Amino acid sequence: MIPQVDDRVLIQASRDGDLDAFEALVRRHHPAVYRVALRMLSSEADAQDATQETFVRAWRGLGRFRCESETSTWLYRIVTRRCLDVIGARRPSEPLGEIELPSHLDVADVAEQRERLRAVTRVIGGLPGDQRAALVLRELEGLSYEQVADVLETSVPAVKGRIHRARLAVMKETAAWR
Amino acid sequence: MAMTTDDERLPCGVALEPLVTQVADAQPPADPAHQAACPYCQAALRILNQSWSDVQALTRQPVPIPPQLTAQIMLRVRSLARHVTDSILLGHPHGETRVSHAVVRRAIQRLAVAVPGVVFASVRAVPHEPPDPARLNVAVRLVVVFGPAIEALADAVRLVVDRRIRVLTGAEVSRIDITIDDIAEPTD
Repeated sequence: MIPQVDDRVLIQASRDGDLDAFEALVRRHHPAVYRVALRMLSSEADAQDATQETFVRAWRGLGRFRCESETSTWLYRIVTRRCLDVIGARRPSEPLGEIELPSHLDVADVAEQRERLRAVTRVIGGLPGDQRAALVLRELEGLSYEQVADVLETSVPAVKGRIHRARLAVMKETAAWR
Repeated sequence: MAMTTDDERLPCGVALEPLVTQVADAQPPADPAHQAACPYCQAALRILNQSWSDVQALTRQPVPIPPQLTAQIMLRVRSLARHVTDSILLGHPHGETRVSHAVVRRAIQRLAVAVPGVVFASVRAVPHEPPDPARLNVAVRLVVVFGPAIEALADAVRLVVDRRIRVLTGAEVSRIDITIDDIAEPTD
């Protein structure tokens, strides 16, 4: 890990063919990329594939990346596109996997908590791809509406609309589950 | 859940959208007086808050990152980059020795970051002009700490590379161009 070095320096070094610099970028950003992929695809195997593919595409695209946006925004954009492609290629009836949740809660509460979170995960996994991407980036990654719009290359009102529909679906479904 | 009608309004006429935004974005109510007195709004908000707390709980759940993921990514990237690797040719009466530019670069990078005040170094091999398989030029990018004279740091890097790289790798580095890319932020 090279904590003090700015992403732009690592990007420039990577462009020059420095694989150690690129590896530092991978180490710095792969947790966020993997989290987004896992939240969007609900499958650890698919999320790992999407994360690998994201960084391979990033490596190939280094020459075109001009550092006008944050590195994280660039990587979010690549992984989101990749996940939307995967979602689009899935058969409608294909069942989604479930994220295994770590159990560190009181034993009596674990089962209910686990079920509620699984229900939320299922609902998010059933959203249309564009809503799912917007919701994951906004609610689970904590991006602003403007950042989400930048990643998804759309307008802020469009993002707000998608997020509202996604939130409503999640709230209705989880309220019904209760 | 008797929360909505077809047009996503509560029986009191309030649209559901601002209530959802109020809960999810922790916004103040648009009409506090109505909301405080309206049983429909209060019931809807209670349900929305309960549901949203599950989403927030999911947000707080740590996502375990597969431990080998970085290695898997770099394996693929290195295989893509392999074809651009070039090498130094070291002649010998009984054969020849080739040292990859990547090895020379890595050695220079390690020598450079060992210089006090240098926190990051990236090295690029530049073809020698005129072409010479035993020689190369390098371009070095540095990030340094704030304090020491930058020119002196660059000279120190150039000096240590000049002294050590021939012994370490056999490579003749004819020219060392140094760019200071950044000054590192102090860390705690």
